[in-house]
Amino acid sequence: MLKVDSINGYYADLHVIKNLSLRIDQGEVVALFGPNGHGKSTLLKILCGLQHPKSGTILFNGENITAYPSHRIVELGIAYIPEARDLFGDMTVMENLNLGAYNKRARHSIPQNLEFVFEIFPRLFERKNQLCSTLSGGESRMVAVARGLMSEPSLLMVDEPSIGLSPSLRSSVFEALAKINREKGITLLIVEQEIRDALSMANRIYMIKKGEILFEKPSAEVDINEIEKAYF
Amino acid sequence: MESFLNALVSGLISGSLYAAMALGLTIIYGISRIFNFGHGVIALIGAYIAWIFVQNSKIADTSLLLGILVAIVFLFLLGFLLYRYTMNPLMKKPNWEISTVLFMLGLGILLENVILQIFGPRVKSIPVFKEGNIRIGMVQINWHEIIIIFIVILAIFLLNLFFKHTRSGQAMRAVAQSIPGAKVVGIDIEKIFGYTFGLAFVVTGISGILLGTKYYMNPHIGWEWMVKGFVIVCFGGLGSTNGAIYAALILGVVEALATLFLSAMWVWPIWFAIFMIVLLIRPQGILGGRV
Amino acid sequence: MKKIISNWQASFVAAIVIFLAAYPLLGPSSYLKHLFILFFIWSVVAAYWNLLNGYVGINSLGNIGFLAIGGYTSGILALRFGLSPLITIPIGGVVTGLLVTLFLGFPALRLSGIYIALLTLIFADSLPSILTQTRDITGGGMGLHEIPPFFPGMEKVHTYYICFVFFLIAMLILYKVIHSKTGLAFVAMRDSENLANTLGINRYQERLKVFAISSFMTGIAGGFYVHSLGDISPTTLSIEPFLLALAMIELGGIGTFFGPILGAGVIVFGNEFLRLAGTLRLTLLGALICGVILFYPGGIMQLVEELGTRIKVLFNRKKVTE
Repeated sequence: MLKVDSINGYYADLHVIKNLSLRIDQGEVVALFGPNGHGKSTLLKILCGLQHPKSGTILFNGENITAYPSHRIVELGIAYIPEARDLFGDMTVMENLNLGAYNKRARHSIPQNLEFVFEIFPRLFERKNQLCSTLSGGESRMVAVARGLMSEPSLLMVDEPSIGLSPSLRSSVFEALAKINREKGITLLIVEQEIRDALSMANRIYMIKKGEILFEKPSAEVDINEIEKAYF
Repeated sequence: MESFLNALVSGLISGSLYAAMALGLTIIYGISRIFNFGHGVIALIGAYIAWIFVQNSKIADTSLLLGILVAIVFLFLLGFLLYRYTMNPLMKKPNWEISTVLFMLGLGILLENVILQIFGPRVKSIPVFKEGNIRIGMVQINWHEIIIIFIVILAIFLLNLFFKHTRSGQAMRAVAQSIPGAKVVGIDIEKIFGYTFGLAFVVTGISGILLGTKYYMNPHIGWEWMVKGFVIVCFGGLGSTNGAIYAALILGVVEALATLFLSAMWVWPIWFAIFMIVLLIRPQGILGGRV
Repeated sequence: MKKIISNWQASFVAAIVIFLAAYPLLGPSSYLKHLFILFFIWSVVAAYWNLLNGYVGINSLGNIGFLAIGGYTSGILALRFGLSPLITIPIGGVVTGLLVTLFLGFPALRLSGIYIALLTLIFADSLPSILTQTRDITGGGMGLHEIPPFFPGMEKVHTYYICFVFFLIAMLILYKVIHSKTGLAFVAMRDSENLANTLGINRYQERLKVFAISSFMTGIAGGFYVHSLGDISPTTLSIEPFLLALAMIELGGIGTFFGPILGAGVIVFGNEFLRLAGTLRLTLLGALICGVILFYPGGIMQLVEELGTRIKVLFNRKKVTE
């Protein structure tokens, strides 16, 4: 589905992605681990076209999307949910969700997608006419995920879904993500620091360090100590 | 009392004209963060296009309408292409703020002098929509002014409808609130900026036509309109459309009352003083919100 | 190699300075001397404007206003009170610096760039109406005439040398400001987005200082302007001088030391040819500014640098083949 071949990326002047390659298959849940500041977020930004690599290629379903701007990548079916959420604060939850379906492909299936989104996040239905700037941290995280789903993606990339959430909220977000993968067959790429939670739902993991892939393994074979060691 | 009421009404009328004038500025700034220092001349282009049509025909009403339509199409294209081929490349450089300011200033002066070459320095005005006065109680008001107010209210209403209920309008608000968010949901922000310039130029052009019917115009008057627009958008809060409307009405009334109780000579110093006070006390403007 | 290039630059600058110092000895016409005087003064105005716009990131649009305040102050004191320009010019500079820093710098520099642009433009725009209101002192729309020269009974050559020395001193001061700790900090901040405010300087205070220096020196330039030319009127504040100064900065190369000087040279002498274009002059100037910003944002200095690298490459190649 997604094939990344030896890309190099920069954050300002810093070389943060070094000759990195990875692949994601249809229907998988892939988790990306690695210490902060080692290029995980930059990688996701490159994959969704917010930034472009200096070299290397990115193929999505066989199409070379390396130089595509973000709006074309969304159109092809990759959605990115940034850590910073980037919601439209002066708009209601409903308006945010509608804007999630901005691309031409998703416009026609707004009702079905809304139904699904409200099913997995019933809380959002209660708050649908509230301004996003008045929501709690957990709720805005839900809006961000829901807004991403509205674009009807086949690949959903989530940057730190659990950051800043209480344990119970965290597990409900992970449940929702699992449901998205199970029921809609949406492929997931998750960057996460809560290693145990992410391991329990992922099929495969990548460990990133200093902009390079340290190792790649099916999650069943992962020894948690091995990961924790890699962090230091 | 009678003169006070009349001044109040005439202040509200010029205030609504100023509101129309300032909307284009604040729309562009609110969405793209570019401040249009060529704003005045854009209004003038609208006014002169309408004037051409009125000038060369006998049936003034329909030709004015035709002129307005042509001005709308022309200004939309001008705004869209101007963004695409000049602002867009400039925005990608680190010193975009100063380069866009100087570019638009240079362009404003360039276009002002092109207008001067084509139409000459003589003062012109566009004929009023409808002659005649009516009296409501103590207040004397003419039909033309009623029509102007109606057009301004209609324009504001349509703009609100556009921003609330159309995809492009919602996308513009989205871009104004969060550019990364807009990119993430798949909005082509460069296209939206282009539409924003087109839309704002159209609004500005219409305000120029209205100003050209109520007052007069020459190739240099655009600067005066623009400076008033500057004060209004700062007073109302840069990027806030509602703020600009309230600010314009307040300043229109202040101007009319100053003319009544002091003299017309005091109008400019008062505008300037208000500007300074706003910047010193409340630089985010009276509302300080966004589009 | 790099050293040789910069030595070339240094010797080039030295050659120009020697030429300017010796030029009147060649017996040029009074008109040419007049153009050089204009060049000296406008160079200072453009260079100190560029200090704000190109180095420190203060988007000022009011520097012609500073010039006018300095010029009017010095002119009025000399004309109405018979004071010597040697005293009135510094007073003009101080008055400009104080007025501008208090009324523009304090409120505007706390705000973002666009407010500074708005405030300074409106400020410069409101000066002509103030001049008309104060007709008795400033001469209103007619302006001031027969402002006394620097010394009684001066000739053009003397004015030339006085302005030349002023030009050299002003450029030396500018060089010192740009290469001071503050100046270098601002340059570093301008050139790297990530560096903002990590340099341990109080940005507001330092920007205020630079703003004061720029307005003071522009006010002084205003004094030299009126005592060299003998008159000043609100036309100084019209759109044309404003546009000319902007064109100098943009054409020469915004954010470079030599750019505005080169730009001033080209514009002051080029404007004489531009007069042939008559009423189209302002159209052409506007087009020039837009064209440079859009297509060649580095201006003449970019051209110089590109030529420099090319020569360097040529030199290297020669060495290799040898």
